[in-house]
Amino acid sequence: MFPELIDTRPLRRSIDEGLNWVVRNWGDGFEAAARPLLILLNAIEGLLVATPWWLIIGLLALIAWLATRRWQLPTVVAAALFLVGLMDLWRDAMSTMALMLAATITAIIVSIPVGVAMSRSFNVRRAMTPLLDLMQTLPSFVYLIPTVMIFGPGKIPALIATIVYAAPPLVRLTDLGLRSVDPAVMEASRAFGTNPTQRLFGVQIPLALPTILAGVNQTTMMALAMVVIASMIGAGGLGYQVLQGIGRLEVSRGLFAGLGIVVLAIVFDRITQAFGKQLQGKIGLSEQRA
Amino acid sequence: MHYTLKSVLAAAALTVGGAGLVPATAQAQEQSCGTDRTIDIAEMTWASAAALAHIHAIILEEGFGCDVAIVTGDTVPTSSSMLTRGTPAIAPELWTSTIQDAWEEGLGAGEVVDLGEAIAEGTVEGWFIPQYTKDANPELVSADDVVARPDLFPDPEDASKGRIYSCPPGWACEISTSALFEAYDMDEAGWNLFSPGSGGALDASIARAFLREEPILFYYWGPTAVLGKFPTYQLEMPEADPAIYACNTDSACDEPARKTAYPSSPAIVGAASWVAEEAPELVEYFGKVGLTNAEINEMLVYGDEKQADAAATAEHFLATKEDIWTQWVTPETAEKVRASLS
Repeated sequence: MFPELIDTRPLRRSIDEGLNWVVRNWGDGFEAAARPLLILLNAIEGLLVATPWWLIIGLLALIAWLATRRWQLPTVVAAALFLVGLMDLWRDAMSTMALMLAATITAIIVSIPVGVAMSRSFNVRRAMTPLLDLMQTLPSFVYLIPTVMIFGPGKIPALIATIVYAAPPLVRLTDLGLRSVDPAVMEASRAFGTNPTQRLFGVQIPLALPTILAGVNQTTMMALAMVVIASMIGAGGLGYQVLQGIGRLEVSRGLFAGLGIVVLAIVFDRITQAFGKQLQGKIGLSEQRA
Repeated sequence: MHYTLKSVLAAAALTVGGAGLVPATAQAQEQSCGTDRTIDIAEMTWASAAALAHIHAIILEEGFGCDVAIVTGDTVPTSSSMLTRGTPAIAPELWTSTIQDAWEEGLGAGEVVDLGEAIAEGTVEGWFIPQYTKDANPELVSADDVVARPDLFPDPEDASKGRIYSCPPGWACEISTSALFEAYDMDEAGWNLFSPGSGGALDASIARAFLREEPILFYYWGPTAVLGKFPTYQLEMPEADPAIYACNTDSACDEPARKTAYPSSPAIVGAASWVAEEAPELVEYFGKVGLTNAEINEMLVYGDEKQADAAATAEHFLATKEDIWTQWVTPETAEKVRASLS
């Protein structure tokens, strides 16, 4: 056994008391600061719930068609979503989809600038990498319970937890995509007298877009992977059905809701991937790689 | 095992006179485990059962010389494993009302045995508000009074309604609480039934409310550290009616939900039947180990405040509450346990 060099209990107690102090004194402030997130999530959820089911299926199938220009993917998408409806999970699936969309949108807004900063500064990257490792590996309940205490239970902590878990791949892939743009292309653009901003928005980002889109795809998938955990702090949706199924030993309920999550994952995964491929084709990367 | 004349006499006295008339001399005997099999004790996910598991583990191992293992468990998985495979051997705090049908069937078939009460006067379940909310609004006495005032307990996500914190999903209390929500017409009265999603999140929500002295209406149960630590007021409900409660919690029952208090559910020490067959002395021991709600709450508050885990809480209990646990065993056994603690 490792010798007990220091007594960690006072330290742990002061951490707990620090959290209590924050909750007591700053709880309102934090709650107000997270308000925009709640408004975004509620708006998306309200919209998804108010839209008739056939319109949502139709729209997603249309998006799938735009991404592939073939009939296979739209058919799969429509059939899969219809199955969710058949399993009596439509309302829950919409809550989950809203949580996933809100998390993905927020993650995109936050992650891409961070990824850009990382690709341009070695110091930023050195500081961010361990933080990203932490976000991806720290067991979620460790920060979930403090977030519940600070923000109150419900959608806000669920959304924050989902963002924490889902954002890192997008940050990493944005950074990677921007750094792996061909140096020759960069040099050529420099020779044309572009300034750094023009290079970033005119050359780097467009060329890195397939990689960034792969990041968005990963973020979507990880957000969906998080829904069960998010339900454990009051988010509702499909994850909640899974929890109920487990708790009551109703294997069927858990299985149905689990399949619902799989369906959403497949739909969004295939659509974002198809867009990525389309984009690669447009900038000629597919031939280069082939 | 070596039988002395005394112990044979004591055994005779036991059979003739029943447990109440055990002569004092019989208490002065060596107690032994009686079985070579490993006694695996289920450590449930909630604090009181976890602490009890460790208390019994120490006493069985040090006092009785049993081979003890602690295994993680929860009401449904542990009881079904006990019923089908005879392991874990002991569940030190089993709420049988959650698993009533399966448990009674197992008792009937002789797969499991009920060794005694884990919590002497049964458990507490109900709707609670903080004492400071009660002090500020003394008119809030019964659940009806609170249901009439959703404005006092606003839902942060939908301020026009009140919020009641229900039970984590999948727990039996989730169904009964939802039924009461319906019985009290709380939807009509402007309330949202909020599921906290997990026990941890429910505790965090309660802790948050108490830290900020905010009003909160929540379902909770005892004995728990939460009820021991925070001053709460339990709302009055119409007397518990087992028939109404059974209907409320049965999805097959068509009658509309009606008001009833939560019946106090028995928390017992459950065991696989081989324990009773092979280790009669353990059966006698577990017949005496019932604690009161207040005793368990006190123990849990210690664990909570000192950041002690279940094992440390159990050791603290054994070190400070000798007057309680020495009653469970013979002085010799108690001495062995005491020696192991120091």
